[in-house]
Amino acid sequence: MLPAGLSFDQAPPIAVPFRFFLTAPLFLLAAAILLVAYGPEMLLSRHMPATLAATHLLTLGFTSMVMCGAMMQMLPVVAGAPVPAPRLVAWTVHLSLATGAAGVAASFLWGRPVLMHLGGGLAALGFGVFLAAAAWSLAHVRSRSPSVPAMGFSIASLAVTAALGLTLGIARQGGLDIPYVQFSLLHPMWGLYGWTALLVMGVAYQVVPMFQLTPNYPKAITTWLAGGLFLLLILRSAAEFTLLPPAVPGVALAAGAGVFAIATLRLQGRRKRKISDATLLFWRVGMGLLLAACLLWLAAALLPAEAAERARLLLGIAALPGFILAVINGMLYKIVPFLAWFHLQSRYVGKTAIPNMKQLQPDRPARGQMALYLAALALLAGAVFWPPLARLSGLLWLASALWLERNLLRALILYRRTVALATAKKSD
Amino acid sequence: MGERLLDVRELEPPEPLERVLELLDTLAAGDSLRMLHRRQPNLLYPILEREGFAHRTTATAEGDFEILIWRKQV
Repeated sequence: MLPAGLSFDQAPPIAVPFRFFLTAPLFLLAAAILLVAYGPEMLLSRHMPATLAATHLLTLGFTSMVMCGAMMQMLPVVAGAPVPAPRLVAWTVHLSLATGAAGVAASFLWGRPVLMHLGGGLAALGFGVFLAAAAWSLAHVRSRSPSVPAMGFSIASLAVTAALGLTLGIARQGGLDIPYVQFSLLHPMWGLYGWTALLVMGVAYQVVPMFQLTPNYPKAITTWLAGGLFLLLILRSAAEFTLLPPAVPGVALAAGAGVFAIATLRLQGRRKRKISDATLLFWRVGMGLLLAACLLWLAAALLPAEAAERARLLLGIAALPGFILAVINGMLYKIVPFLAWFHLQSRYVGKTAIPNMKQLQPDRPARGQMALYLAALALLAGAVFWPPLARLSGLLWLASALWLERNLLRALILYRRTVALATAKKSD
Repeated sequence: MGERLLDVRELEPPEPLERVLELLDTLAAGDSLRMLHRRQPNLLYPILEREGFAHRTTATAEGDFEILIWRKQV
């Protein structure tokens, strides 16, 4: 039997989060392959089949995959509220999201209704189980961490996103009569802004001061921002169906995200320690891209039709492959080695030498992958103006996804090797 | 009877935990360790408990935490 752990009694087994983190880059890879294969036509509109497929590979397969895995880790540790039946929940959510992402993407690509029903059903099952587990966990929270309310608004937004997505999926196959145009605008808004950006905020309130050694976020931000933005998302949605002018909540939403980005950049500028690492740089880049997305949001509302369409495309790039991917990619470089270190420390300390964080996740390859990511993103934005760049960008995304997977695997391999050493010594 | 000081306020997690665990190994009975930390080291407390250490945490005027650690008498 293993000795009692570092009392992370609350923490789930390492296999729970790791399966999410190590599968996610494969979906990034799949999206990159689509960009290489379909090239310039993907940048004509966000509604192109290959674009919709790649977008859902990114959102279901990469970002939601990592976020669900991370939440199952963070809820017990940050909020002191264990997730019920962690192994069963992780197994179900992981498998449903992975197969659901593949099914939905394949359906967009090849227009097969059966794949949409299957993929949409699986993704809904995965999110349903996750939402039930996360809601149960949040209802038992003992902590007053400022992250907790933002996490609550984020998972409520996930419920809205999933419901809209499922409805759109059914309507797309002609099985349902809904206001399609409005729903197809609100679905990405709730997914990117509500589920994703609100969770990034909640996580940032905790991890930016802790890992990046900055002062805490101003209390006014941690208390009011996430809830206020959630309310604005509801108002912006209502504007689609009432006489409420959409520009009012729309501009307020852009400004709210801008406030968060500027607050984070300012905190990072006031760090106590001047040494930087890949995670910090990814987060700084991510906040810059969020700020760019806010400006593009405003531009899309103000510019004449043709220019506005281009601004919307750039807004999508700045938001998803930009801000969201940068922040999650950077976070993976902290959370994966931290979990590996923590589990080694709690179980095998004194039995063999425990590698430190920098050995589990060296900074140089992480920075190298970041450079590749930035180049891929710049070319993708460039392809909006000069489409032949799209395929080259796809090749760089492909290399970046492979490199990310390689870097994360390094931590896992070292973890396994250390466990093997420790258990071999024990049986001597 | 000595007191040692460990200031981890400018270290990134999990270095504070690594440092204090190293020092605890060498802490003799009657000695104490005064640790300065930016936050409550929630992961440390259960280890202290398990390894037979007592601790007392006070918040400082600057908003940091001071954790006094000593070996429990057996």
